Amino acid sequence: MIHPVAWLAWVSAMLVTLSMTRNPLYLGLILVWIAFVTIAIRPLASATSPIPISPVRFALVVVTLSTVFNGITVHVGRTVLFRLPGFLPILGGIITLEALAFGFLNGVVLSGIFAAFTVLNRVLPIQAIVRLIPQAFYPVAVVVSIAVSFVPATLHQFQQIRQAQAVRGHRVRGLRDWLPLIVPLLVGGLERALQLAEAMTARGFASTDTQRANSVQAQGTIIAGLILLLGGWLLRLMWGQALLGLTVLLTGVGLIGGTVWLAGRQVPRTVYRPQPWARNDWSVVLGAGVTAMTFLFSWPGLDRSSIFYYPYPTLVWPGFHPILAVATLGLLVPGLLLLRQRNDTIGRVLRRMVAERA
Amino acid sequence: MITFNHVSYTYPDASQPALRQINLHLPEGEFTLVVGPSGAGKSTLLRCINGLVPHFSGGTIKGSISVNSLDPIQATPQVMSRHVGFVFQDPEAQFVVDRVEDEIAFALENAAMPPQEMRIRVEEVLDLLDLAALRQRRLDTLSGGERQRVAIAAALAFRPQVLVLDEPTSQLDPKSAEDVLQALVRLNSDLGLTILLAEHRLERVLPFVDRIVYLPSNGSEVISGPPREILPRIELNPPLVKLAQALNWEPLPLTIKEGRRLSQQWSEGKTFSPKQEVPTSQPDKPYLQAHNVEILYDNQPVVRGVDLKLWPGEIVALMGRNGAGKTTLLKSLVGLIRPKRGQITVANQDVAKSDVAQICRYVGYLPQDPNALLFADTVLDELLITLRNHGIQAGGSAGAISPQELLERLGLADKAHLYPRDLSTGERQRVALGAIMVTRPGALLLDEPTRGLDYLAKRRLLELLKSWRDDGMAILLVTHDVELAAAAADRVLLMSQGEVIANGTPGNVLGSSPLFAPQIARLFPNTGWLSVNDVLESLM
Amino acid sequence: MKKEQLLSIVIYTLTTLIGAVAFLYPFWQPALPQTNIMGQAHANDAALILTLLVGICFVVLLLEVQGQSISTKLIALLGILVSINTILRFAEVATPTPGGLSPIFFLIVLTGYVYGSRVGFLMGALTLFVSALITGTVGPWLPYQMFTAGWVGMSAPLCRPTVWLLKGEGKWFEVAVLAIFGAFWGLVYGIIMNIWFWPFATGPTSQYWEPGITLVETLERYAVFYLATSLIWDAMRSVGNIIFILAFGLPTLRALRRFHKRFTFDYQPIYEPLPPISIKETV
Repeated sequence: MIHPVAWLAWVSAMLVTLSMTRNPLYLGLILVWIAFVTIAIRPLASATSPIPISPVRFALVVVTLSTVFNGITVHVGRTVLFRLPGFLPILGGIITLEALAFGFLNGVVLSGIFAAFTVLNRVLPIQAIVRLIPQAFYPVAVVVSIAVSFVPATLHQFQQIRQAQAVRGHRVRGLRDWLPLIVPLLVGGLERALQLAEAMTARGFASTDTQRANSVQAQGTIIAGLILLLGGWLLRLMWGQALLGLTVLLTGVGLIGGTVWLAGRQVPRTVYRPQPWARNDWSVVLGAGVTAMTFLFSWPGLDRSSIFYYPYPTLVWPGFHPILAVATLGLLVPGLLLLRQRNDTIGRVLRRMVAERA
Repeated sequence: MITFNHVSYTYPDASQPALRQINLHLPEGEFTLVVGPSGAGKSTLLRCINGLVPHFSGGTIKGSISVNSLDPIQATPQVMSRHVGFVFQDPEAQFVVDRVEDEIAFALENAAMPPQEMRIRVEEVLDLLDLAALRQRRLDTLSGGERQRVAIAAALAFRPQVLVLDEPTSQLDPKSAEDVLQALVRLNSDLGLTILLAEHRLERVLPFVDRIVYLPSNGSEVISGPPREILPRIELNPPLVKLAQALNWEPLPLTIKEGRRLSQQWSEGKTFSPKQEVPTSQPDKPYLQAHNVEILYDNQPVVRGVDLKLWPGEIVALMGRNGAGKTTLLKSLVGLIRPKRGQITVANQDVAKSDVAQICRYVGYLPQDPNALLFADTVLDELLITLRNHGIQAGGSAGAISPQELLERLGLADKAHLYPRDLSTGERQRVALGAIMVTRPGALLLDEPTRGLDYLAKRRLLELLKSWRDDGMAILLVTHDVELAAAAADRVLLMSQGEVIANGTPGNVLGSSPLFAPQIARLFPNTGWLSVNDVLESLM
Repeated sequence: MKKEQLLSIVIYTLTTLIGAVAFLYPFWQPALPQTNIMGQAHANDAALILTLLVGICFVVLLLEVQGQSISTKLIALLGILVSINTILRFAEVATPTPGGLSPIFFLIVLTGYVYGSRVGFLMGALTLFVSALITGTVGPWLPYQMFTAGWVGMSAPLCRPTVWLLKGEGKWFEVAVLAIFGAFWGLVYGIIMNIWFWPFATGPTSQYWEPGITLVETLERYAVFYLATSLIWDAMRSVGNIIFILAFGLPTLRALRRFHKRFTFDYQPIYEPLPPISIKETV
């Protein structure tokens, strides 16, 4: 069992790494790792998603669309395939291999991101995701809990209302005929909400007092953080001060993050069955961190130019640095851990069977 | 212990006080039953104990209340929640999370209890309410009774000294209600927990109760005392007690066992001819016919090969265990569920060939939850909407009754312009009845119509049904309420596992059934008596 | 004005500003003097920084909206309303609806209009969140959806002055104003979501290969992109919002208003105590 926060770290690293590069070799590697993890989580996958979109299907659709769209709207590049008549708006012009390639690569990036999130959706049950909501937002987490719990009850009530209205002669023929279905659902829901509020109050749930989180001090710190955020970003963009801008930006992020964290500490609340953080989780976070750091920041002695592969102006063979390829392995860690767990279990079962036969 | 001292309370925007000068003292460790007609203020009284009144509801309160030397008016419900547990009526609107164990832990998490302590509390409460096997289940997969037990468990997680329950079994079937009440009895006798229960169904709980508190309908002059002392003074009695009062039996029996002793004494030396049941002559054509109906759910048969005939001018009660297929059968008669096999005709029309709206012009169907029907702004509008749905003009067109007349018959004429959802449970049910009866159907099907009704409302419903029956309507009601069936039905059908296993007069079907016999029948077996009137009539 | 209120306003303004600037960066960024070769690297991490900025703005806004305290009644109210809206979204995702037609916005607009900005914001943001949870479609676009939908609900009370001035409460005029509001957001929601999507789909290509591209050019390209991909989609959403608000508006408003007082009053109970009784007094 991998802790939800570790999974979150993995998905973030995925997001970061995929956004940073358009090099088809690295992208290909990362996609292979995602596929591996997807297969490894199969026994764990909770059957929650009723409308699953297969990541493979998504990939096919998106890659095709992206390739074609970029190919026919961007008329830049040296390897001309053919030419569309110039009088056509937007579409008129040369269709180049480079444009197609760039569209293709973008599609691949999007598919990778989607596939990574699919893993997250499949492996984390709803309660685990709700638990990830920071303590400072406890009222929001309660609202989400209530909403999730009441979906089946609301559906059931909708069925009852539909039958009850049918029984008094109601037929659904046009849009207006949905009114006798929606209004009782709404009114019934509001009545239920009052009853629920009463029950919650009776069990000691008082309006959560996050007073200290919104004290003048906290608000001031947040404002400072926001200004730093904006400032740092503008520094990077407008005045090309990459490092300084980044530092200022991150300070802003830190200030705000710190305020949120402190606000969370003020909320008096404990957790009934906290999921323990194990060695596996450290491994996942470490692996994710290594990959993300390698792709995000420049390190002395490491030639990261192959990351910034760019098909324009001429389509060339992408560069490849073995260390960078190895760095992507950090994203494979969850798959390896889960597979080892599965093998352990299988091994244990097999051994028990053998022992029973003996 | 709980003390009320000259307590008066008025809801915000209300013209009349809900409670007037209540004086009450309840010692510790007692199982107290709070009874009174609907709207008398029972709920308000109970909510005073944990501070929901006035903190949640607003309003003006006078007087003082003391609960184990705490003042709930000064202390907030949050503080009181540690000392008073509260369970509400609706099993569907009390839970925040979707698993049993997490729900119980929710209140504890919110109170910042250390995890070690939380685990102990959760385990002990799961054992107390016998929920250990259900701990990981999702709440929406549980039955109503199981859910109410979870609600009780959640209320007990803080180890309160008092447990207050506001009609916790009114939405439940008898078996579930029994489970819940037995759990309460155990809690009171084994743990010495002080319990206050507001309840309409007195029969099950009377033997275990130490005290009855009665609130008359004007919210004042509360009387309180041991059951045998209070019961003779109030009207809301189970048949056993009524009969005992009428025949002056002493001491007042609270259980069938006590009643049997007295009834045997009383019957000694008297001979009775068994009650003659005059078979009602039936007109030729049944209004509603079902032949060989088979219904599947999830590919499992729920109703197997049922034959049913409903004649005009009779009331038929359809009874049976939970899950026997009663509601499913009822729904198929109006086309809400399509049977796999079989033929159903209503007023000479084949149900399979029409849609529900068409069928319901000729058959009225009252669902279990009449609230699902109500959405208009006034009572009168509800009736007019049905007419509009069917395309009938609201002014004395052939076949339709005038809405005003119907409202008068239902006793709602003075409420014609009120918002339906603000009315009491019984009144809302009657509005729903109006909405389905306005097309003057020849038959009426009711699904568990007495759930949540007090004795008075039940009686009114009974009178209404009987008057419609006398006008020639065919009425079929699904019910668990044995006394209602005994009082109202001309015929009783018993269903079990999807089949009709008995069909006959109430005396025949209910009289000797160990499960379904009404109280009077249990007192006097083999006499054919089902109600107090039967006994009293035989004396003349 | 109290200090907290002033600071609140500052925070709302700043987050809006940063949010807007961040969302619109594909437009004004290429017009910047950008000559260094590091441009490409920055192009890629610009998308990341954008996500970070918008995410932080959302978090700050959420914290601000949560405010001092949310009463238990509002928490229960939101929970139930969000579950109803989630079911509507279910219906939208499961059935083939034309274009971006979505039934969830009419409830978000009406709830925000009757109950205020806080409830409106949470209604919008959490509808998207809970429906993503339930359908298993949590994805990188979710924070943007939540932010934008939150804004829809949060800005709904802006309709109030118009309705009040023209004394249209309870009449069809009120619903008409809300329908126009819904139509506006139907389009703008799509435009905003597209801005997020655009750099991914086409990449920061044109900007860097053709340095010095002007703002007008960028707008043109975006307009093209938008027309080709999403105008019809968003028009359907707009039209859908108009239809839903006009068809269901008045009864829904009536229902919401009926309960408004019960959910939001903070009635101070009026208490007239008596001296506590002695235990010997029994009835």
